[in-house]
Amino acid sequence: MLTGVLVWLEETPASVWVREYPSILGFPFILFLHTLGLAMLAGVSIAIDIWLLRAVTFARTVRMTGLNRVMWLGFGINTASGLALLLAYPAKALTNPVFYAKMALVAVGLYAVSRINRETFPRGEAAAGTVISALTKRWAVVSLLVWAGTTATGRLLAYTHHVLFATQLP
Amino acid sequence: MSLDEILRWLIRWLTSTPINTVVMGYRWVWPISEILHFCGLAVMVGTVGAFDLRLLGLAKGVAPATLHRSLRYGVAAFVLSALTGSLFIFGQPDQYFYNAAFKLKVIALLLLGLNVLLFYTLEARHVLALGPSDDAPLRAKIIAAASLTLLVSIMLFGRMLTFFRP
Repeated sequence: MLTGVLVWLEETPASVWVREYPSILGFPFILFLHTLGLAMLAGVSIAIDIWLLRAVTFARTVRMTGLNRVMWLGFGINTASGLALLLAYPAKALTNPVFYAKMALVAVGLYAVSRINRETFPRGEAAAGTVISALTKRWAVVSLLVWAGTTATGRLLAYTHHVLFATQLP
Repeated sequence: MSLDEILRWLIRWLTSTPINTVVMGYRWVWPISEILHFCGLAVMVGTVGAFDLRLLGLAKGVAPATLHRSLRYGVAAFVLSALTGSLFIFGQPDQYFYNAAFKLKVIALLLLGLNVLLFYTLEARHVLALGPSDDAPLRAKIIAAASLTLLVSIMLFGRMLTFFRP
């Protein structure tokens, strides 16, 4: 049943296009977009985590709406490019436990970002004098570890897959 | 001695070093180096990119000096990425020296270094005195836009390395 779905997915015109389009604007560019999305989401989140871990209190009012927008745009780019990469080689990803570990880490990372926002920047800002709580610092540590884990599992996908195509499945 | 002869000599030397033996001889050295390279890239682009975005006015509400304090981690991450990147060159120098994407990546890195120098020479003093809602001077915005463009270019050429192998 699963093999049938995977074979069908691999034969869709969209899957074939992503995999076989004979230009760097195909698969290579989608890979680049995935890295760009990672840098926008995880990179900016890491920058905020480092800041929150080093600071004790905010000397002045801080508004996070701009940086949050960058992170969510990065998440959008990552989701779209990730779906395209998944569509190109569905069997390669969906038969690899590392892929599910990566997805779980992304979910925890997004949850950590939303918890930090809720705890420290309600309605997108923190007033002057706001003390950065121990809970926020704990979520910042979780976020740092999770983004490192997401990057690690993302790279490991290239080395840990068992098959490329559904037809290679036993 | 022509450039090609120098490159061939360099490739012979790099592939004869113990570092080459370690990188190519142990199965997990390359993937672990890649993980560290990408983690370094994420921290570098995140910290430097967030600072650049603030100067461009996209993240107003945070004083530039606040984001600037995180840049030392970006520098440490750059060193990590440079070290792991060097391992790849020791491992397969011919795959890099004759690769157009690698040459463009090195040029972008050099230009980024020059841009950092320009920022600290011309604008750092004014920018670091700005408040959370203050607008950065035009020259600082141009430097920030150049920095972001170069960071994205470095990622682009880095990803294209595989597809431009000689």
